[in-house]
Formats: sequence, C-alpha cells, structure tokens
Amino acid sequence: MMVAAKLIPQLLCWAGMVLVLARGFSGLRRVVAAAAPAGFAAGMAAACVLFRFLQGDTSFGIIRGAVGGGFLLLWGASVAALYRSSVRGGELSPVERVLRSPAFAGFAAFAAGLPAGAICASRLSASSGASLVSLLLLALSAAALAWAACAAEKRLPSQVTVSRTGSMAAVVSLLIFSSSYILRLDLFGPLTMKVMKFAHDFVHQFMESMLIPDHLFIRDYLWSYIGFLFGKEIGVWGGLFIWFTPVVLIALAIGFEPLPSVAHIRRGAERRKILAAALRQRRIRVVVPALALVVLVAAVYQSRFPSVEYWDPKPLPVAADASGEIFIPRKGEVDLEDGKLHKYLYKKGELEARFFVLMTPGGKLTVDLDACAICKPDGYGQAEGTVICYYCKTLIPLETVGKPGGCNPVPIPFTEKGDGVHIDGLTLINNWGGTVQSTARVKEGGK
Amino acid sequence: MKRMLSAVWGVLSSRALAPLAIGCFLLLYIGTAFFTEDALIALMDFTRSSAILTVLLFLLPLGSAGRIAAETGSYLKRRRALAGKAGGVPAGLFDETVELSAASSFAELQGRLEAVGYRTRLTDGALTAWRGVSGFPGRFLYLCATFCLFAGIFISLTARTSIRGTVIEGERFPVPSGESGSVERIALGKGTGLFLSKKLSIEVAGSGPGAVGEKFGLYPPSRYQGSYVYPRYLGVGLFYRFAAPDLPAGYETHSILSIYPPGKEAAEEVPGSPYQLMLSMEDPGDGSDPYATGRMVFLFKLLKGKDVVATGRVPSGGEYNQGGYRLSFPDSRRLVIIDFIQDYGVILIWTSALLFFAAACLWLPIRVLSPRREMLFRVGPEGERAWSRAEGRNRAQASVFHEALDALESARPAAT
Repeated sequence: MMVAAKLIPQLLCWAGMVLVLARGFSGLRRVVAAAAPAGFAAGMAAACVLFRFLQGDTSFGIIRGAVGGGFLLLWGASVAALYRSSVRGGELSPVERVLRSPAFAGFAAFAAGLPAGAICASRLSASSGASLVSLLLLALSAAALAWAACAAEKRLPSQVTVSRTGSMAAVVSLLIFSSSYILRLDLFGPLTMKVMKFAHDFVHQFMESMLIPDHLFIRDYLWSYIGFLFGKEIGVWGGLFIWFTPVVLIALAIGFEPLPSVAHIRRGAERRKILAAALRQRRIRVVVPALALVVLVAAVYQSRFPSVEYWDPKPLPVAADASGEIFIPRKGEVDLEDGKLHKYLYKKGELEARFFVLMTPGGKLTVDLDACAICKPDGYGQAEGTVICYYCKTLIPLETVGKPGGCNPVPIPFTEKGDGVHIDGLTLINNWGGTVQSTARVKEGGK
Repeated sequence: MKRMLSAVWGVLSSRALAPLAIGCFLLLYIGTAFFTEDALIALMDFTRSSAILTVLLFLLPLGSAGRIAAETGSYLKRRRALAGKAGGVPAGLFDETVELSAASSFAELQGRLEAVGYRTRLTDGALTAWRGVSGFPGRFLYLCATFCLFAGIFISLTARTSIRGTVIEGERFPVPSGESGSVERIALGKGTGLFLSKKLSIEVAGSGPGAVGEKFGLYPPSRYQGSYVYPRYLGVGLFYRFAAPDLPAGYETHSILSIYPPGKEAAEEVPGSPYQLMLSMEDPGDGSDPYATGRMVFLFKLLKGKDVVATGRVPSGGEYNQGGYRLSFPDSRRLVIIDFIQDYGVILIWTSALLFFAAACLWLPIRVLSPRREMLFRVGPEGERAWSRAEGRNRAQASVFHEALDALESARPAAT
C-alpha cells in the first residue's frame, strides 16, 4: 500500500503526459492510447533488465541519461520553434508532414512511455524491490490511466489546442518531475555541478585566451565579483537558466507566431474577427508551456529539498592511544558491517577531524573524511544506495565511496584487522587540515 | 553548377547554420563531460586536432559572413524598391504582400498616410510611405560583432602558439628567437586603475649597440616580435647553499621559486639526499610588499624524510647556521614567468565586444522609440501590388496598411 502511495506522483504525471499527447496529436487519440502504454510496459521491462544485469549506479545512469536526452531534445525543439516562429505558415515541409503522421504519433507516445515506465520501475525497486505482481499491477494501472486520460481528453473543449513543442515541453517536464522523486534519477543536482564546473573552466580559459592577468593582479572587489562565478550559486542560477529556457523559448515562439495574413480581406470586421480568433488560439497554446514551467519549478524544488531522510548519525568522539593510533572495533557500540555510515570525531589539541567508516555494498570497509577535496566540509548523509555531499548535493554511489576524486569523500589509509580498523591519528589530522585548507577558497553560502 | 552554388549559398546564409553548429559543439561538450572532468579543455583540444570539428567551427564565422552579405543585400534591395526604382520586388523582402484587384490612384492615399504620421514619396506609379528609423545599422553591427567573435574564437583556437619563458633580473630576456637584451629591472608597484591592483614593469635593454630598450607591462599586454608578452606568475630566482652534518660537502644551486605572494610555499629537493627545503617569503607585516621593495626575507623548513630538522628565517644575503645545518641565500632576484603568445584572434574577440555594445546602444532605443515601418504601393510589371513591413509595432502598422488598402478599394470607381 505504501509503495503504491509512493508511485502516485509518477502515475499522475503519466496520466498528464498521455492527456497532453492525445491533445497534441489531435485526431490520433487511438494511436496514442495504444502506443503510450506499450512504451510504458517496455520501459518497465527494460528497467528491470538493467537492474538485473548491471551493477551499481549504471542502470540509474542509463535511465537518467534517457530523461536528460529528452531534455536535450526539448532544447533543440525550442530553438527550432523560435526560428520557425518568424516564418509565416505556408505549405507543410516534408519534416512537418512526418511530424503530423500517425506513425510519428505512435513513435512519440511510445518514446514518452519508455522513460515513464522505467522511472516507475526504478521507484518501485528503490522502495521495496520489484516483484512480478507489483510490476504487473503497475503496468495495468498505467494502461488504465492512459485510457482514462484519453477519455478525459475527448471531453476537453475543442478550442483547447496544444502546439507540438508545447506538448513536448509538457511531456519532458512531467518526466523530469517524476524522476526528481528518486535521488539517483534527479537531473537538476548533477546539472548544477556541471554548470559550476563549466563556469569555472570558462572563466579560466577566457582569462587565459584574452591574456587577462591572474587574480594576483586584479583588485579585490573585482575578484570578489569574478569569484561569484566559481561559487555554488553560479551552478544553481546557471542550472535554473538552462532548466527553464527551453519552455520559455517555446512560449516566446508561440507569442512570436505571425498572425494570419488578412490584408486581402476588405471588411474590417472580418479581419478583426480572424485576428482575434488567432490571438485567442495563441493565448490558449501558451497555457501548456506555462504549466510545464510550473512543473519544472516543482522538479527543482523537489531536487533542492528532497523528501528523503538522510542517515546522518552524530559523530562519536574517538581518541588515539599513546602511539597515536585510533582503534574502532568492528562490533561494539556500532556495527561497522551494517552498511550504514558511521561518523566519528577525533580531537588532538586544538585540531580535530571528522571522518566516517562504511562498509560498501562490495563488502569492503572504507575510512573516509567527512569532507571532499572540492567543497566546503559540510559532510555527507546516506540515502538510497548513495551518500550525498551536503554542500553541493552531489550523489556518490556507495560502490565508489573509498575511491578518491571529484566530490567523493577523501579516503584515509587504515589497517583492517579482525577486531576492527586502525587509523593513524596524525595522518587523519593532516588529511583533514589539508582538505579544509584547500577547500577554504569555496565561498560561504552552503549549508 | 549554378544550382549547387545556390544551394551552398543557401546553407551559408541560413540563420540556422550557427545554432546548428553550436548545438553540435554543445552535444560534444555534454558527451565529453561524461568521460572527463575537464570537458571544456578536452573539447578544445579535440577541436584543434580534428579536421571535421575544425571545419565545423569554421562554419560559424563563414555563416556569419554569409548572413552579413544576405541581410545587407536584402536591405539594399528593399531600399531600391522603396526608392521607387523599376524592377521586380523579390519575395521575402517585406512581411506582407497583397495583390490589388485594379489600378488605383495613390494621390489620395498619400494624404491619408501623411495624416497618420508617415512620410511619403509619390513617383510615377508608386507610393512609398515610411516612418521611424531603420534598425539595420544596429543589426549590421550585431552581425559584424558575431562574425568577429566567431572568427576570433576560430583563429585563437586553431592558430594560437604559446611559449613559456622566465624573466629574471640581470639575465637575458628569454625571447623565442634567442636574440634580446638583458632584463634591466622588474618593478612591481600599486595599480592606479579601476581593475588592476598592481603595476608590473619589465624593462629590457636594447639587444645591440644603439638599440632602444623596451618596457613591458601587465595590461593591455605588450607585444614583442609579433607575440604578446603575457605575465603569468611572480617568483624569486634564489641562489642558495646548503650543508648538513651528513652532507658536509654541501650543495648549491640557482633555483626558480614560485613563492609570491608571501606565504606561498615551494619545495626544493636536495638531489642525492633525503633533504627537502620548504621555502616561502615572509610577510613583513607592515603592509609593504617584499617583491616590490626588494627586502626579501625567506622562511624555510628543512625536512629529512618526513621529519622537520630545522626551521628559521633568513634574509636575502644572510645565513642560518645551527646544529650542523647551514643554509645561506647569497643572491635573490625578482623573476616573472611569462608566456609569449601569438594569437590574432584576441583583437577580434575584443572588437566583437565593442561592436556588441555599440549594436545594443544603437538598436535598443530605435526599437523602443521609433521602429521603422514601411509600405509600398506600386503598379509595376507584376501588376498592382502593395507591400508592408515593420521592425516593431507590427499591429499598428498592419492596421494602417489594411485601412490604406480599404481606402484604395473604396476610391476605385464602381464596376459597370
């Protein structure tokens, strides 16, 4: 029952997608009603195969890639729509004829159903593991909802029209919203990271290319402005720009569509009637992209403030023995082999270091700083097969914890013995000091 | 052949060319980002080394040049048509074209259009009406800016060469050709401008008798033998002697240390020994810059393996001698790490920035305050036709145009 409740947002999004597709391909309702559930079922099956045969984060990566691919396509379509908007409609181009064909309607509905099904299957498997019965129930629910959506679409007033790009915007935004509920399928978090990295690289390359002196020679106030481009905020703002632009472009393209030519009509009233009808149609067509924008806002909110409870235990104080060695027993106050993140705090005089011990899904113990080499040391929490960096919200699959690089927790050398793990206190303090020092350049403003 | 040329011209002057090429690079960037952390640098390297990507990049300035030619051509043709010159009006020059059913007299219409603020010109068989200022000059500047930007990026990415050199006071200026004068002075002072906090000056003597010396600054970058001189980092050229109880013979060397600003550490290995020196410049604490004043004091940390065996501070020309460890710095000189860069794209990119600014300054007020609106009514070889075009306030223009057509229709004598 709880699992079914968890799938409600995804299923509602699915119904919305079918409704928009059915209206977008007006007159091809039956094709959409058949192809979309077929795509959904195929997506579910594909996701199950992926989870069965691929290890770790790869299967989630593939599904996330499919949703991201849809978003890229939306970007392309929105730019094309804006370019097309300045051309007065004449004869249909061969591409447009294809886009209006039943075959394309079927293909589009199937293609939209694939990731929708995969996302639902991911949600199911992330929640409780997907049994055959639950998958079957899910497929039946999806089919029923698709038919219900088509039936509802039939009752909508005929004046409510959706442009091709408008329906694409709605479908992609609903897919993104669906996936934002699953930490490892979330797109906005990784996007902000990529934007942050791009901004950093771009500024660096720009300064080098334009022979602009390094920060040593730049006035502090100016460097503080440039420094904004290296911060986390640029990732969020740049991400928001990339996130919303396609839908805004689609709305603009609809707004820029030329009104029908009425210059040949010699009766003013008739001209005004035609123009008023065209304007009304234009306004109605903007509604769906506007709703898509709202859905994308919700997806961003879900991504920034996920309704997931992270496992984030309070760090336990530990001390070193006379030789400077810290010992943490395998089974004691905490069980190091329970697959959970266990945090500790080691103090040496004025200095202190926060670290955690974790058993990875591969059965290996790893000792890492509760900090990475890039971000401010806000630490990590654990949820859904990942640990999350609280500062930049990057998800790190449990399989890769213990490996250095990127936003991964900085691994600490340790000795594993039968009774527990042994860590050199000085190494720990030095590593923490070095990491915190190297990340001090990251501006405040995180958690 | 003509058809092929026409197709090529169609592609090159297409508005879709630049977005498509940029879209390809965007996809490549995204693809690269899956495999490497430094996607931008990797993509730049990939573009340099791949002929296909270089051609794709070249399409950007080429397409911009095509757009300049196409839009200038259209503008001139439209001007010609509006000037009442004979000849057909090519399709696509105006927003709307309407065929009129019978010949009319435009004299009355002229008065009507003038009454609503249009300026008019009535020639034999043609009436031109217009108001507002054309945004084409702004558009032209924008297109030129786009061309300069893409051409600059293309040239910079494909033809840039960079050679690194170390400029040390008293040594020869390290030009790639090898022939140069010696560096007379490196001076660092406080900047007076809005952007730069420091002023750097590298003074180089002439390379031969009677040759004039040269001076290189920070920004805009100076040029030397066709290359930009791009100062990257400051450092100190240090001559040091070191001896230890287990290294009685001692060791001395000239070393280039990147230890500016004060506090920045550099490591120096003592070859063939377990010793390592960690060196930095002391901050005088009085707000002065030791690099600028030349009063340099060096902080050192001597490590033997992982153990710190000695620490201290030694001024330039001074010596440390304790516990069998001896360290002296007989000579220290200012140095600057510079890049000699040959890049003809830099000027184009800066030019594009200026042009973009000028285009925005020109286009925006015109578009907001007085956009160009034009109408042409003509009896020509193609019959009686009317054309309309607006760069802004399209609805108002359409309304006037339609009413003008209504007026022409009503003025026509009733059919018998």
